[in-house]
Order: sequence, then structure tokens, then C-alpha cells
Amino acid sequence: MSAVEARVAQLEEIFLRFELKAESDADNKTGGPLVPRARHYELAQALKEAGWTSYVAVVASHWLEEKKGETVVDVEHFEVATALRSVGAGTLVAKWRVRLELNEDIDSLFPLFAGADWQEREQYDLVGVSFKGHPDLRRLMMPDEWVGHPLRKDYAIETGCAPWR
Amino acid sequence: MNEALELLANPWIHGFVFGAVIVTALMSVTAYITWFERKFAARLHSRMGPTMVGPKGLLQPIADGLKMIQKEDIVPRDADRLLFNAAPAITLFFALAVAAVIPFSPGLLASNLDIGVLYALAVSGLMGFPVWVGAWASNNKYALFGGMRAVAQAISYEIPMVLSALVPVVLAGSLSIGQIVEYQIEHGWFAFWPPGPGIFAFVLFMLTALAEGNRIPFDIPEAESELVAGPTTEYTGIKFGLFASAEYIHSLLASALGAALFLGGWDGPFGIPVFWMLLKTCMLFVGVTWIRWTLLRFRSDQLMALCWVYLVPGALGLLLITGLYVHVRG
Amino acid sequence: MAVAETPPAAPVTPAAQATPIAPVTQVAASTGPLVPSGPPRDGPIPPIRAARTPRTDCKPTKAFVPEPHLDLSTYEADADLMTLSLGPQHPSTHGVFRVVLYLDGEQIVKAVPYPGYLHRGVEKLCEKLMASNITPIIDKNDYVAPMTNEQAVNMAFESLMGVEVPVRARYLRTVLAETQRVASHLLWLGTFGMDLGGALGGGTSLFMWCFRERELILDLFENLTGCRFHYNTHTVGGNRHDVPAGWPEMLHRTLGAIDERLDQYLGMLEHPIFSARTKGVGVIDADLALELGLTGPLLRASGVDHDLRRDAPYHAYAEVDLKVFVEDAGDCWARSKVRIEEMRESIRISRILVDNLPPGPICSTKPLKMVGQHKLPPGQVYVGIETPRGELGTWLIGGGANKGSSPYRLKIRSPSLHACAVIPYVLPGCSLSDAIAILGSLDPVMGEVDR
Repeated sequence: MSAVEARVAQLEEIFLRFELKAESDADNKTGGPLVPRARHYELAQALKEAGWTSYVAVVASHWLEEKKGETVVDVEHFEVATALRSVGAGTLVAKWRVRLELNEDIDSLFPLFAGADWQEREQYDLVGVSFKGHPDLRRLMMPDEWVGHPLRKDYAIETGCAPWR
Repeated sequence: MNEALELLANPWIHGFVFGAVIVTALMSVTAYITWFERKFAARLHSRMGPTMVGPKGLLQPIADGLKMIQKEDIVPRDADRLLFNAAPAITLFFALAVAAVIPFSPGLLASNLDIGVLYALAVSGLMGFPVWVGAWASNNKYALFGGMRAVAQAISYEIPMVLSALVPVVLAGSLSIGQIVEYQIEHGWFAFWPPGPGIFAFVLFMLTALAEGNRIPFDIPEAESELVAGPTTEYTGIKFGLFASAEYIHSLLASALGAALFLGGWDGPFGIPVFWMLLKTCMLFVGVTWIRWTLLRFRSDQLMALCWVYLVPGALGLLLITGLYVHVRG
Repeated sequence: MAVAETPPAAPVTPAAQATPIAPVTQVAASTGPLVPSGPPRDGPIPPIRAARTPRTDCKPTKAFVPEPHLDLSTYEADADLMTLSLGPQHPSTHGVFRVVLYLDGEQIVKAVPYPGYLHRGVEKLCEKLMASNITPIIDKNDYVAPMTNEQAVNMAFESLMGVEVPVRARYLRTVLAETQRVASHLLWLGTFGMDLGGALGGGTSLFMWCFRERELILDLFENLTGCRFHYNTHTVGGNRHDVPAGWPEMLHRTLGAIDERLDQYLGMLEHPIFSARTKGVGVIDADLALELGLTGPLLRASGVDHDLRRDAPYHAYAEVDLKVFVEDAGDCWARSKVRIEEMRESIRISRILVDNLPPGPICSTKPLKMVGQHKLPPGQVYVGIETPRGELGTWLIGGGANKGSSPYRLKIRSPSLHACAVIPYVLPGCSLSDAIAILGSLDPVMGEVDR
């Protein structure tokens, strides 16, 4: 068994432990399984202990209400995807997504990975997802007094702003 | 003609005339030293250097000077205006004042002081303080940082510099630079004779002169990459120009002092004495420039460690050996 | 709700902080409220940073354990702390970047970085553009290594759309990526020299020499793509510019000349002043590097043997035997060493691959004729590649409301962002001069940090 296959098997085993569909092969294009919000931190911890020690990214995306004709298929919500990487031979990215309703927040991974600090601040800044337990949740890119979160789909990009001092 | 010579014998008129000549010469030489340094550095970088103003860029220093004068003179709002404006002039004054005792040839010096060495070292050591005054007066944190570093460096490196300059003083038995040179013409240059302490004292002197002149690898007060421009951060136009030329003059005169104290001054096999003195000064200055464009910078604590751990004990040891030698020689 | 088991750690006293590199388990509650905007958390607050045993094989210059969220009221200074705003306009921040330093004398007590001065909203802009229009914009992210930027984003599109890249294009991409790595590392070496030696001294000499060689590589790229900086040569499914006649010989000449001069740069590492300024300065230990998500030369200089080109081969890296250089010390010197050795390895690989360029097409997709030719299927992919700065990832979401050729959401995981995030951890305890050396050795590109 090659190093990659070993990692894939390990990842599948962990995902099964969390009652997730084992969607860990490289070809799947779903961005990883959907994880309940409550088990997000736990999964990250389990992965870190199993060797996924390098922090890659957190990606928050904003999804508007989706309608098919008159029926509402999906309500407005956020999706937060996280990626961790195992280091060395057979490196593999472990990805999973968490669905957040509006006004829900997600556990910060900062206690596990110091690298989550700026990534989560960036997502908080640009998408407006709140990370619970982050010690220093400030805007990272935009000025502190900026109103709104630019990467939201309902953000009015045509709106003018005051010139930067 | 005779009347004119008699007039020159008057110390006041002598000092005034020679002072005017030396200051004028030094200022113009300094301007062209910048041209030389730019060309020299360009050769080290595989570049061309200034080429556009005049043939081979020879008018570049004049254009630079005009630019300096034209530039807006900005005084920061919260600066101490009096000190801020006075500091560059005082710095330049101290830098130029050293020239009074540099003997260019047997007769060509502004003032043949009996304590020439002491005077030169004291005045050049004072140069650090107007820099600090200017830095403090600019009310800028980077400038303050640079000024504090400049003072710390000036105080520390003054000690090995004076100690190494004492070696030729002890050997020649005189504090007058003219007499030291004459002693060398008689007995051989101190850099080579007596073999041993002279050459080390010479290296030590030039090293500390580099540090006193805030030149790389010892340019921590200015340290462009850390402190923007150090003490001169807030200075613009001709005031900055005065600081810069003071620095060049300081390096140049330190080279001249090194040539006079260790390399036999105007001593040479043939020709006019002034030529040899200027040649040696220029050679030393080229060496200083070469070092500047080759090495990286020390950190401030490493600089202090170098001074207090190696240079000061080394200079003391050299002085001790020299004293023993003189004692044995009788 | 799973929370990390918090060991009952005593609150850290200033005295404990002053002891050299003692492992500190700090509880957030003891440092006072630092979270003005975050929602309150129920239950015990987990430790900000886990306890860590210090490495013994390297000499840290720190006088105390760096604490990124250090509460300054717990720090006992001899006199008032000096607040120094390093940037946004400063010669050594490599772009528009601001670090607020709290200085005790010349020692840094706390460093707070403020990125964002170069934020251009690239990710938002990408949501309105097609893949072929995104490439030239992504070029400007990491403006020191645009080739690898283009590759990263185009590989994400290829992965989502299921486009196969022809073999010749894969080889050519590898050659370009490796040559770009040499150019990027040369620029780093030059600017690092400037940081250490100043604009009016030996540092400039190093800078000019490195630029002399980098110009040769830019000439090489100009010959291939017609552009010196922002190439726009990659597209979905391959490359747009095939190798012109005589280009491989030109590459051999250029890289051969650079290879000879690399010995001088390696020799420079042993210079006493260079060693004194870099050895033991800015030590990042392996745990911290991994946790912070550092990648590339920064991670390898901290003793972690990890390189995506070897461990998860893409392009044509599987065809070559890649040597990965690892240094254990984790200081500025190790980072310099790793980068210079990498240049040599990149030159070797480029020269092998350009000799073995297979024949065939360089692009598997037709040139773009009309809007909407490339349809993005719904789905999410993450593709990470090894750029000169580390893992440059692209998280691409297709479908959604943009049912066309532009991505629904495109997130760029930039290695420089993580490199800058290390600043609060390594700067405390160093002097101001060291801070400049460390900033330079991290090699951040602000265009990529802020995007």
C-alpha cells in the first residue's frame, strides 16, 4: 500500500467514525462531506491527532435563497469549508463543509491551529461568518469602519464608498 | 609680494586664508567624491552610474547640489525649530574643523597645533552630538532611534580610535601631527616600522574611522532598511545635503588623518609632497568605499560587542606593547 | 460541543514570561478581554496556544516565549513602551504592510501586523469573470511569481471541468514554474540583501547582481510569451504560447550562467557578517510552522520534509527525481540556504525537462471564441500547488446562482498570508534590526497577502 493509499484509508476511517459518507478520493468535486455544526471542532481535532497537522484554508461562501418556480428549494445560508493537509510523503487534503443558517456561528479552529487566526478573520471580514472562540475577531482586509461584507452575494457592488483617507 | 607674505605671517590672516582655501577645496572635492563613489559603486554592480549630465556624468554633482537647494525645506510641525535648523550646520562645522590640523605638506596646513592629534579626535568625536540634536529636534521616532544609536556608537568607538591613534603618538613622542609625519620621514612609516603594533593600530584606526563615519558595515544609525534614514529622516533639501556632505568630509578627513599618522603623510620618493599626501588619502578613501559597497550591516548589539569585547582590549594591548617597545628602545 | 481539554494552568506571571523559553500554557481568561467583537463562548475557554517543548538544537534569540495576543498590561517594562508603526510606507516591508511594534528599548515586546492596504477585491472580481479573463488578474496577485499563480487557478478550473492537459503542456508548465522559481528566489535574495545591508552599501551590490540574473530569466519569458511580468500564457487545458525556435538553447545558456553564479551566493552564506545577522534569528520551530500553515521554503527550513512537487506530483514532476532540501534550524540562515539550494535544483529540473519536451499539442481546449464556451459544472474543488512561496491553493466553487462560465466563489489560499501571520510569534524578543531581517526572510508578497 502506497503512502497515499494509506492516508486515503485513514481519512475514510475517520470520516466513517463521524458517520460521514467517505468522500475522500481526489476525484470527487463536492468539497468534502457536510458535517454537523456541533461536530466541526471534534472532527478537526480527530484529524489533527491522526496526522493532518498542517492548516490549509477555511472558505466561507454565501448562498442566496433558491427558488424553483414558486417553491423555495433552499433558504439563504452560509457554507464554511475547511481543509487540512497531512504532511510528508502521500500528503492528502482533508476537506469538509459545514452548513450554517443565518445568525449561526461556527467553532473557531484557532485553539487547534494557529494558522486559523488570519484565515478566519478574513472570512469574517469578507463573508461575515462569525467564529466562536476566536480570540481576536477583527476585520483583516477591509477598514475597521467598513459596513457590510463584500463577498456576500447580496452585497451591492455598485455602491460608492467614501474615498479612503 | 613680500608684503603679502608678511601679511600671511600674521596668524589671524594666515588662519583665515588657509581656512577659506581648505573649506572651499574640501566642499568641491566632496561633491566630486560623490561622483566618484557613484561611478565606483556602479562598476561593482555592473551598472553605468551617472552618464547623462555632462561628459561621463561629470556635472552630476553640480546638478545634485542645485537640486538640493531647490527642494522644499520642510520643518515638521512639532519639531524644535531652532535646534532642527541649527543641527546640520553644526555637524558640518565639526566635520570641517578637523581639516585645520591636517598637514598636506610641510607648509600647507591651517594651524600647526602642538596637540593636533588630540584636537582632531576631539572635534571629530563631537560630530555625533549635533546629529543627535537634530534627530531629537525632528520629533520623529525613527530619527530618535537613529540619533540614540549614533550617540552610542560615537561614544563607544571613540575609545578604540583614540587608543589606536595614541600608538603613533607614543612612538613619535609628540602630539603634533606635523612632527609625527616628520618622525616617520626620518624613521619609516608607522604602518610598517616598527613591525607589529603599527600595522594593527592602522587597521584599528581605519576600522573605527569607518564606524565614526557611520559607514557600512557600521552604519546602524542610518540603517535605511530599518530606520528609513535614521537621524536625517525628517530633513529635506539642503539641510539633508549638509548632513550628507558632513559625512563624506568626515570619511575623507579620517582617511587623511590615517595617511598622516600611519603612512608617512607627505613622504614620497619624488615630486611634490602634497601629491603624495593626497594620493594616500585617496587610496584610503577608495578602500573605505570598497568596504562600504561590499559588506552587509552589523546589528547594533553586535556592533557594541565588537567594540567593547575585541577592539577596546585590543587597542589597550597594542598601546601596552608600543609602550614597552619605546621603553626598551630608550 | 467538543472543546479541547483545558489543563488547569496557572495564570502566567510576568516573572514566568521573563524566563527564557519556558513552555507557557496561557489561558485566555488571564489576559483579559481581547475580543471586542466576538460572541461570548459558553464553557471554559480553550488555551490560545498549546504548550510546546522548545527545540534545543537551535539558539533562539528570544528572551521570552512569544505570545501573539499578549496583554501589554501584564508586561513589566523598565520604562514606557515605545510604539513604532513600521509601515505602511517603509523601505523594508516589501510592499504596503504595517506592523505596529511595541518596543522596550530596542527589544520588541509585541508585534501587531495590519495587512489589507493592498486589498483589491480579486476574489469578488473573479465571480464576474470567465476563466480566461481571470488568468491575467491572478497574475497580479503574486507579482513576483506570476507563472505559478496562473497555473494554480487554471489547474483548479481544469480539475472542476474535467479537462485533460496535454503532455507537452504539462512539461512546459513544469519548466516555466521552475524557471519562475529561480527568478522569484533571486528577487528574494536581492531584497534580503537590501534588508541586511541597506540601500547604500553591500546589500545593493547583492540586489543588483540578483537583478542582473533575473533580467535574463525575464528575457527568456519575454521570448516565449511576449511579456516580461504578467504573462497570461496559461489557459484552461494547456498553454497559449508554444516554445519558439531556439528557446531551449536560450534557456540552457541562461540557466547555465545562473547556475555558475549560485556558488558565489552559497559562499556568501558563510560570510561572518551574514551568518551573524541570520543564524539563530527568527527561529520558527516545526510545530509552530505546521500549525500556522507555513509551507514551502519556510516549512522546509524548519525541518519538515514536505514538498507538494514530490509528495503530490502534478504537472510533470512525477517524471523527474526531485531533491528536496530540508534544514533543521528554522532561522533566517536556514531559510536562505533552502532557497538558494532550491534554485540549483530548479535549474537542474528545468534543463532536464526542456530537453525532453514531448511533441504534440499544447492545449486541449479550443481558443475562446464566445462567452460561455467554457461551462463550469456545479461542485467544489481545491487544488494546491507548490509556488516559490509555498502552497498556493485555489478553492473553486462552480454552479450556484452563476450558472455560466464564472465561478460562484473563488478563494485563494496564499502562502504569503500565512508567512505574515507568523510575525506576531517570531518578532517578540528580537531587536528592531532582527525584525527587518526576519520580515525579509519570510519573503511575503503583499499583493498575494491582501489580494
